[in-house]
Parts: sequence; C-alpha cells; structure tokens
Amino acid sequence: MNGRVMEKWMLLISTLLALGGAIWGGVSVHRGLRTYWTLALMAGAFVAQLVFMEQRGQMRGACPLRDLGEILVFLAWSLTGFYLLVGRPYRLSLVGLFTAPVVVVFQIIALSPGVMEVAPQRSLGVDAWREAHSAVSVLAYGAFALAAVTGVMFLVLDHQLKEHHLQSGLFRNLPPARELLAAVRRLLLIGFILLTVGIIAGLLMSHRGGWSHLITAVAVWVCYGLLLIVQLTWGMTGRRLSLAAVVLFLLSLGVFALV
Amino acid sequence: MELICVGLNHRTAPVEVREKFAVAPSKLGDAANELREKTGVQEAVVISTCNRTELYVLGGDDSIASLQTILGGAEHCYHSKRMDAAVHLCRVASGLDSMVLGETEIFGQVKDAYQAALSAGATGGTLNRLFQKTFSIGKKVRTETGIQEGATSIGNVAVDLAEKIFGHLKDSEVMILGAGEMSRVTAQSLQSRGARSIFVANRSYDRALELAQKMNGHAVRFDDWQLVLAQVDVVIGSTGAPHTIVQKADVEAVRRKRKYRPLFFIDIAVPRDIDPAVEEIEEVYLYDIDTLEQIAGEARTQRARQIEICEEMIRAELVKMQLPGM
Repeated sequence: MNGRVMEKWMLLISTLLALGGAIWGGVSVHRGLRTYWTLALMAGAFVAQLVFMEQRGQMRGACPLRDLGEILVFLAWSLTGFYLLVGRPYRLSLVGLFTAPVVVVFQIIALSPGVMEVAPQRSLGVDAWREAHSAVSVLAYGAFALAAVTGVMFLVLDHQLKEHHLQSGLFRNLPPARELLAAVRRLLLIGFILLTVGIIAGLLMSHRGGWSHLITAVAVWVCYGLLLIVQLTWGMTGRRLSLAAVVLFLLSLGVFALV
Repeated sequence: MELICVGLNHRTAPVEVREKFAVAPSKLGDAANELREKTGVQEAVVISTCNRTELYVLGGDDSIASLQTILGGAEHCYHSKRMDAAVHLCRVASGLDSMVLGETEIFGQVKDAYQAALSAGATGGTLNRLFQKTFSIGKKVRTETGIQEGATSIGNVAVDLAEKIFGHLKDSEVMILGAGEMSRVTAQSLQSRGARSIFVANRSYDRALELAQKMNGHAVRFDDWQLVLAQVDVVIGSTGAPHTIVQKADVEAVRRKRKYRPLFFIDIAVPRDIDPAVEEIEEVYLYDIDTLEQIAGEARTQRARQIEICEEMIRAELVKMQLPGM
C-alpha cells in the first residue's frame, strides 16, 4: 500500500474509532454505566491520527499544516491528545463522549473531496519559525477546543441542576461542576500560553502571504487574554465562562479561513 | 438434612422483642456453636443486626420448632426451608429485605456473621458454599442492577447534590441557619464526606454555640450570617421563622466578593427560609424540602422496580449451584 492510499485509510480508521467512541460512550451513559471503551477507542484514534500526520509529513517534507484538511486533522489530533492528557488525570472521563463527536466532525470535513490536497507538493524550503508557529498554534486551538467541549459539559450539568432534572444517566456520569470549571480555566490558560508562543514564532517567520492571518490570530489572543484576566481578577459565573469558551472557540476557527 | 432459616426482623417484631434476641458481634461465633449443641443441627450461622436476628442451619425438619423457641416462640418468627431459605439469605445480603431498600451495610454484617461462625467451627461444606455463593450474588446484584442507585433520604440527596456541584467536599464550607435536628444531621453528613468547616447561626447564640461545639464548627451570631455567606459554599436553612430569611438581595450583595463561585442552598425549613427568587441568580442552586423529598421518592420507586430483576438473578444463580440441602 503506497503512502497516499494509506494516509487516507488511517484518517478513515481514526474517524471510525472516534465515531465508535462517541456511540459507545453515548449508549453507556444512557444506560447509566461507566465505560473505558471510549478512552480506548480515542487512544486508537489518536495513534491513527499520528500515523496519518507522519505520512503527510513525509510527503510534504514539512509539518503537515499546509491545507485546511491537514489543519483540521492536526486540530483533531491536538484535541484528542489534550483529552487523553488532561481528561483522565482529572477524572473527567465523560469528556471523551463530548470530544469524540467534535473529532469526527473535523475529520469528516477533512475527508470531504477538495478539502485536502490529493497529491501534496513537497516543500522546497522549510522556515523553522513558520513550522513552529503552525504547530504550536494548532496545539493551542486543541486546548481551546477542549475548553469549549468542557464548557458545553458544564452548561448541560448547570441546566440539569437548575431544572432539577437529576434522573438521567448523563447527569449521573457528568463530573462535578467545580471540577469542570477548573478544567475550563486550566485549558484556557494552557491554550493561551501556547498561542502566545505561536504568535511570537509567527512574528519571526517570513510573511509572503501578508499579515491578515497573524492580525486575526493576535485578535483571538487578545480576546482569550481578556477572558482570563476578567476570570482571574473579578471572577465570573460558570455559565458565562463556559459560554465565552464555546463562543470564542467557534469565532477563533475563522483564523483558519485566512491561512 | 436441609437448609433452614428461622428469624425475626423489623417487620415481624417490635424493637422491644428484637433487642431481647440481639447477639453482640463478638458473640456471633459462640452463639452459632451454642445453637448446634442445643438443637443438634449440623451447621449454623447466626446473623444479628439492629433490624433482625436470623438463624441459618443445616438440620432436620424438627429443628424449626426448637429454633423458634430460641427466638421466643412462633409469634414473631418467620421461617423458610431449602431454596426459599437460600433465596431469603441472598435477599438479606443484597439489601432487598432491609428497611432502606438496597442499603449496603447489611452485606458487611452478613459477611462478619459468617466469618465468626466459620472461625468458631460452626459451619461445614453446605453453609460454606451457600455463604460464599451469597456474597458473589450480593456483589452481582449491586453491580448489575439499579438497586443501589440514587439517594433515598433527604439528607443523602442533599449530600449527593453537594458532591455533584463541588466534587470532593474538603474545600467546601457549610453554614447552617437554625440549629435544628434535621440541619444537624445534614451538616454532619456533609462533614463525614469531608466538608472543611461548619458555621452555625441561630437566633439563640447559646444553641448555636452548643451545636458548633458538637460539630467542631464555629458559632455565628444570627445578625452576622450575611458576613459568612461570602465565604461558604453550602447553606442549610432550617429555622422555625415564619418568613424567609435569605433574600435575593443578600446573595446579590456578596456575589462579587465570592467571585461568582457556585452556591448551594438546601432549604429544609417549613415555612421556607430561602426566598425562591434566590435561584434566579446564575451561580445559585436552590433545593427546598419538597424537591429533595421528590428526588428521594423517585430513587425509592426506582429501587423498588428493581426488586423483581434482583430476585430473578438470585434464583438463577442459586439454581446453578445445586447445593445439597436445597
């Protein structure tokens, strides 16, 4: 099997594994059972994403972040990685159930015709700052994506607690509200630090395509920075912090349109 | 020889009868041996808790009468034989026969009773196999059915909700408004799950001081409870006041100081202590006594629905065992 065929298969396998994780997790939660299969399937999806990116990296001779498809897969990989790293140690096992559908959506878009170059061109020269900017920034967006996912989980729990809807399997399995909010804050901070490094690298790289992408990235950085300052200085209700994490992440995806 | 169970419990005998036949945990082994000597049964295990005293033996048909005599006669006793006796033991160990359906403490008590009889040499092949099987069935019933799901008392519902909001309670502080029995029990439950400190505010400062000392907490003068509101995570209202004590404005006043952290109000007072409008504040979760009772009731109903499933599971597992005497 040549590289071009294999990378597509790897992406497909990864998407199916994440889809399996989402379905299995959903069924288990509906039945009120705890499951580790979602974690195992997401770990499998993570490995398949790694193989895919290694293949694309070989073809490109550079970090595989040159078209929208590659960026979406890198973002999905970063999101999965943060879930495996942050979700488990903080007993946020259900994060996988909420993360998996996002990974599936990103990768289905990446698999759609025309989104990813079928025959990627090999890069002639590699700008180390550009590579660092792309990789670290997408990692930052992975952290922001997981903050948004965790924010959605808080909003669901908050609604159930407020409305006294306490009988569902989802309610029983959701982590405590305070832990969810702590995870949102932690992920926003990690994302902000990574994005800061990414933007510094972006300032140092060559700018053949103009500055609009970098200006948008700085705007995103300022918004997340303000959110963190408000949260740390004055405090914020869990609902507002979560909503801000979700809305900012969705808006910040606009950065990729300017790549 | 067949398996026989004779016993009395909270449904068949009042406490003044039950207490006469209760056996201390340290005497359970001796009691089982004494049973063998007095009645001539081959094997014996004595289970004794605050709600029941039950004798499980491997004996002849005439053993039932002598066992009933030991438990004060047939008036308050029930008995069962063979498969029915084994099913009863499994129902007891699984919490299906308990006052609080699905409670877990009984499992350990049955285990201790068997261990005592085993150590005293009062058991043999049949009861050993039966009790081992009972423990594995008990575990299966608990893990594979919903018999343990949900909190069935107001206090437990409140504690479960506090854990759903705050996770580990070791970083949480609790304030009680009114030094009544119900608030004390609820606060103690929160304390047993790790709540860091308890503040007691009561119209009679002496009562507040007394309860605070009992709970290793801090007494607060009733006029000062608003000051404490800024630092606590859980507020339990149980005063006898004829009007609401905590108004929306009281909470609004401390939101900034609290940095908008979640605040959980448990209102178990009638008339209510917390103005329902307080719940309109984003970070506030308010549960009054009716809501808590409704949640506890739903859990009890849910558990009751599981009884049939549990009993089917018990019978299926016991049939597989094919124990002599059953």
